[in-house]
Amino acid sequence: MTHQEEKNIPISKGSETVRKTRGPGMWRLAWQRFKRNKTGVFGLVLVLIVLFFAMVGPWISPYEPNDQSAMLEFRSKSPPTWKNLLGTDRMGYDVASRVIYGARTALFVGLGSMVVAAVFGILMGGLSGFTGGMADELLMRFTEFFLVIPVFVVILVMVRIFGIVVVGTVLERIPHLNLIAIIVILGVFGWPPIARIARAEFLRLKEMEFVEAARCLGAGTLNIIFRHILPNALPSLVVIIALGVGQSILLEAMISFLGFGDPKSVSWGQLLYFNYEHLKISPWASIAPGMAIFITVLGFNLLADGMTDAFNPRLKE
Amino acid sequence: MGILRFIIRRLIFMVFLILGVTIMIFFMINAIGDPIDILMAERPGITQEVIDNIKSYYHLDRSLTEQYTLWLWNVVQLDFGTSIIYNQPVGSMLVNWGWETVKIQVPSILISLLLAILFASIASTRQYTKTDFGVMGTALLGRSMPGFFTGILLILIFSYWLGIFPSYGAYSTRSPLMGSLLLDSLWHMTLPVMMLAYFNTATLTLLIRSSMVDVLRQDFIIAARASGLPNRRVVYGHALKNAIIPALTYLAILFGLMLGTAPVTETVFTWPGLGFLYITAIQQLDYPVIMGITLIITLMLVLANLFTDIAYVFIDPRIRLE
Repeated sequence: MTHQEEKNIPISKGSETVRKTRGPGMWRLAWQRFKRNKTGVFGLVLVLIVLFFAMVGPWISPYEPNDQSAMLEFRSKSPPTWKNLLGTDRMGYDVASRVIYGARTALFVGLGSMVVAAVFGILMGGLSGFTGGMADELLMRFTEFFLVIPVFVVILVMVRIFGIVVVGTVLERIPHLNLIAIIVILGVFGWPPIARIARAEFLRLKEMEFVEAARCLGAGTLNIIFRHILPNALPSLVVIIALGVGQSILLEAMISFLGFGDPKSVSWGQLLYFNYEHLKISPWASIAPGMAIFITVLGFNLLADGMTDAFNPRLKE
Repeated sequence: MGILRFIIRRLIFMVFLILGVTIMIFFMINAIGDPIDILMAERPGITQEVIDNIKSYYHLDRSLTEQYTLWLWNVVQLDFGTSIIYNQPVGSMLVNWGWETVKIQVPSILISLLLAILFASIASTRQYTKTDFGVMGTALLGRSMPGFFTGILLILIFSYWLGIFPSYGAYSTRSPLMGSLLLDSLWHMTLPVMMLAYFNTATLTLLIRSSMVDVLRQDFIIAARASGLPNRRVVYGHALKNAIIPALTYLAILFGLMLGTAPVTETVFTWPGLGFLYITAIQQLDYPVIMGITLIITLMLVLANLFTDIAYVFIDPRIRLE
């Protein structure tokens, strides 16, 4: 990653010729390296499959997610048949349809919580790394506090308490309120790793010569942060965020599996929670959502691995 | 800065951290109102007098700060209070249920370490062969496999289809296996330990293999080979000793985290451990139990972190103490 490749340095209006002779940008170089990485591409394909189901879910899913008609025809807990490709569960829901709709919830959870975490993390870490000194010390202690607390168990308590607090208030009328709460809580507890990376990158980049050069040319602080430091910090941040998406999806699944999820939303963790007790009678209803979680988490993990190698080719021999 | 000052600074930070987490949980639980009021709301026919008595027994009639200080003061004297639901001292509950958790977590971590060392040595000495890809592939899959899904598959295969191992509980309800309590216990432990070991082995193998690959390329290994040492001694004697350091520090984190992941493991296998107790305590708002378990979990995590920090300094003196 050399900084001569940096696309956005506006030297002057007459620099068109300079632009044309420049080599491919760092994102394109990374993509070229990424394409050669088989596991990384496999991860990307898995993520794209999940994305596909999330986007076109309502058009391709055989039944409505709340369709319990199989129950009326005494076909609940039926093994996979042509009518229900992945079978039906104990409530008469079509497993395939629920799993397809679950993709939407999963991506909503993963991306939503990471948006919250990224905003927090980049603000905190960036500020910490850019200003340094006392502010850095304070912010880093604060980050460390969040890094060592037992996040998962704290989240469980928070989710449960939130569920009690909202009863009888106006908030209760918001659809999917519990799911949104879980997303926000996951985001609020998911920012420390992002802050750490952001701080390290800001610390490293602010001392670089091209930042010095921009400063000498009279660029303001905001300009330096947003046009020179942040774009160069993005590769590392994208990797940690991709990992975070997978982790958030897994955490939501765990929260739902333990029975603390949003009962009104169709999520893979919820499906496991509802069907786990009938594992012996209808295993397909538990295996399908479990596989879906596995594939999604695997996809994001492999994608993040591939991106790490693509952005830092020197790490790999 | 001397190592002693460093440790003291970390210890002070630790105390603040534990205070911070417990205060957070304490005020969150109390923010929803009186736990007794919420519990009693579903039980009609209880007079106000009884409720008041219960409240004064749990010191709920005092201010929040007073309640927290009282709790802290008692905890310092190793009195964790009384569970509202079970009506037992929380301290002995922590020991009894905690033992069941330790029983499955510690063996799984130790088994994982041994397996990971074995797999990583095999994979790193046969880099880019089919064996290497096989080991790495399995490890990569294992790292992304949700623990509860591993557990579900294990139950399906070994418990329902093959019928070899029990699917729930730590002991047989009727007669123990072959009349031996020890055998019965081991028999019940097998599947939970397998579930935990798969994930731990996967992450440890990836870690040890990558540092093994680094170490095997260094000069002293080439020197060792050049001096005519047999391959086995080079790999297991010289390389492994250096490659295992990052794994050992990660091991401390695993020990610290073992209670953090316990709720899921123990729900899958209906295992009577701290994680299972924690889940039921949260559902029933048994707040002395919630506070006690939160304290233990935080303490373990913080100690593991402290241990890693110190271990790093001793293992690699080049690390600066900031």
